[in-house]
Amino acid sequence: MEANPSSAGPTSKALRSQSWSRTLNLVNPLRAVWWLFTNVRFAILLLALLAAISLVGVLVPQMPVTVRGDQGLEQNWLDTQHGRFGFLTSPMHDAGLFEVFQQRWFGLLLAATVVSSGAYVISRFPGIWASISRPRKRVPDRYFEMAPARYQADEALNVERLEGVLRARRYKVYRTDEAGATYLFADRFQLAQLGTLLTHIAVIVFILSAVVQRVDAYDSPLFLAEGSTLPVFAVSNPNQMQVTLDNAYAKFAPDGQPLDYRADLIIYDRGTEVKRCSSTVNTPCTYNGYHFYQEAYFGYGATLSVRDTSTGNIVYRETLALADKSPSPRVKVTGDDGSVLLEGAVVLPESVNTGDAAYRAGIAHLPGDRTLTFWQPDNASDSDKLVVFEPGSGDAARATLSAGQTVQSGGLTISYEGLEDVPSIVDDAVPLPASAGGGTGSALFELSNVAFGTARTSAGDYSDEGAATGDPTLTIVGLQPQATTLKPGEATTIDGLEYKFERQAEFAGIDVRRDRSDSLVWIGAFAIVVGLAITFWVPRRRLWAKITSARTALAGQSPSHANYSRELRDMARAAGANIPEEVDDDE
Amino acid sequence: MSDTANTGDGIATRGSRMNARSFIRRVVYPVAVIVAIAGVIWWIENRNNDSVAPSGSEYGARQIDPKLVPDGLEVGTEEGQVAPDFELESLDGGESWLTDFRGHPVVLNFWATWCQPCRQEMPQLVNAYDRYKADGLVVIGLNLQEGKDLITPFATDYGIGYPVLIDRDGDTSDEYHLLGLPTTYFIDANGVIQSVYRGPLQDKQQDTNVQGAIGETDLQQGIDKIMAVPAASGASGGS
Repeated sequence: MEANPSSAGPTSKALRSQSWSRTLNLVNPLRAVWWLFTNVRFAILLLALLAAISLVGVLVPQMPVTVRGDQGLEQNWLDTQHGRFGFLTSPMHDAGLFEVFQQRWFGLLLAATVVSSGAYVISRFPGIWASISRPRKRVPDRYFEMAPARYQADEALNVERLEGVLRARRYKVYRTDEAGATYLFADRFQLAQLGTLLTHIAVIVFILSAVVQRVDAYDSPLFLAEGSTLPVFAVSNPNQMQVTLDNAYAKFAPDGQPLDYRADLIIYDRGTEVKRCSSTVNTPCTYNGYHFYQEAYFGYGATLSVRDTSTGNIVYRETLALADKSPSPRVKVTGDDGSVLLEGAVVLPESVNTGDAAYRAGIAHLPGDRTLTFWQPDNASDSDKLVVFEPGSGDAARATLSAGQTVQSGGLTISYEGLEDVPSIVDDAVPLPASAGGGTGSALFELSNVAFGTARTSAGDYSDEGAATGDPTLTIVGLQPQATTLKPGEATTIDGLEYKFERQAEFAGIDVRRDRSDSLVWIGAFAIVVGLAITFWVPRRRLWAKITSARTALAGQSPSHANYSRELRDMARAAGANIPEEVDDDE
Repeated sequence: MSDTANTGDGIATRGSRMNARSFIRRVVYPVAVIVAIAGVIWWIENRNNDSVAPSGSEYGARQIDPKLVPDGLEVGTEEGQVAPDFELESLDGGESWLTDFRGHPVVLNFWATWCQPCRQEMPQLVNAYDRYKADGLVVIGLNLQEGKDLITPFATDYGIGYPVLIDRDGDTSDEYHLLGLPTTYFIDANGVIQSVYRGPLQDKQQDTNVQGAIGETDLQQGIDKIMAVPAASGASGGS
């Protein structure tokens, strides 16, 4: 600790006055609180408590956000902790140790630390600023005897030379000549005293940023289909926004690993379009403090609309996320001339029992009015077999294939490459034709030959990239006895309802976040780095000198880690003092 | 500290000045900063407010004319209470109050284009309106905070012929304590809420539930209830 030159030589009357004042201060409750919060030991206690509690919060598992607030889920979660904490689980829960950072007392502790740091800054700033702007240029003689760094010699140093030495070392020098003595005050990097304050301000800013994040942060995951819109806030909010996914892109590596996602978004602020932008995982689209990050991609969507032909009104339009999988045989059929007539997964939506065996069956129409039916035994032992049967006689194609096999039949070359998982889903709210019961009910949707979402078909705009092997095919089971098969843009009308497969659509998972503590964290980080750098690396020095014709006395202040006594001797030596070079120990 | 060194007359005066200065520094400045920050936040929250009626007041909930509250009833959002009034802009560019439709049974449906269950029930509402509008039934689609860019094509596709009002800032939804979409209020000709349906109105299901197959839909039950209540004499549009 540095001795304060201003405290040198107080009178006993002044000391009694200060003591009495302090007593009065402590009696006054407000001043007592002020004294408490400006007390360094109290601040250290607060910081130690914060550190200890935070450590507990890190070491003890914390209850997930999704569990909090639901008594049943909370109890289930606590039951899972019994294996680790045993009989302590319940008392730990009662003490709030599983939700440390949500506890009121933790918030109060943070607030107390902020107040303490703030009080420190407020209480110290005037003194420090006065010390910078109006430094004490003279100190009592006694200070030269007790200063932490000092040099005294029974010889007179050349004042001008000493001034020169000081200025060469970037000191500002003030000189006073008085009654046979010359007084010097030299100050270097006086603004560096603010480094400590800056560090304290950084602590305040960090805690404030945590409070801002706690109170103000917002995070909402949205799962959007292309062309669809979702609100940022669940129901009603004075600042409601909507986000529309205009287009989603994804690229995949040959092994199926995603390489890149991108989502083109349209943002509406209370119903008015305010921004169009692209969002990626690392580069969010930002509007009004909200960041729209792309966090997920799903390529297997099918947009289906149903129109009541009697009124012309749409009665159903949804983009279905086909998140399930149906194993389906992947085949390739080529004609005599080598042209590819069919390539892709053939959906087998129908169950057919011939009497001898049960089959899953499907149909495919080839160019040139040829139709093939595909049959797969619906039992485990023969499920790798595929029967191809072309209705008719004569040169009709007939074959039974195993996975990986190619045969020629009926002028066609038919390859069965193996089973492929086809995206599928059952939707329970599809308008059904009167012949299928009417009202709304369930239908199975399977999407084969997908254009998006796999390494094979790459990614991007459908019209640009397209499917590698032809258009996607949507197979709907449940509208009529036979499955309904539609290509993009195709429609079929059943009992006055027009079912239209509009397109294969992609989905994007968009995470909407707002965290206004971001900028505070940056400010705090900057302040603490600068504050610490100033405190530890800026060589702040303060020197007083009294030089008479027979004696030289130097006294100085510096950060505690500096060997300022040695610097004083060096400067005295440079100013002409007769000090041996080898003397380098501290006094 | 200087304000404690009040041992002499002159110093005491100086100490008082220092106390005042200290008060400004320690109380007035921080309060001023907090007020300034709160002001900025308020400005951010309330700027660009274009939800304003031609009268100059913001669209939203309105105090209902006491003459339109039947004796012994209270204004509220529960069954048996008088539905709170509101003034909102409509999709066709005009504006409407709920009490404009006093004297007619009203199906008040809160919805949004992004709400899948709302889309699911929409054809039922369209059909019901087409079927009963000649009998005086009014269906109001109260859209939650979307813009006309999104609503208009949706309304066209789904053939929505009934009035669509837009609750841009959510004030009316808050007044009705909306918990989720869709929510439908069945309000009789006297403005009294006969039933509230939270969630999608179920259409007839294609299943093996005989009661479900032969029974009335939720919407039909609600409509039957409000159509059965005659308008009291003098019941007519307010505002």
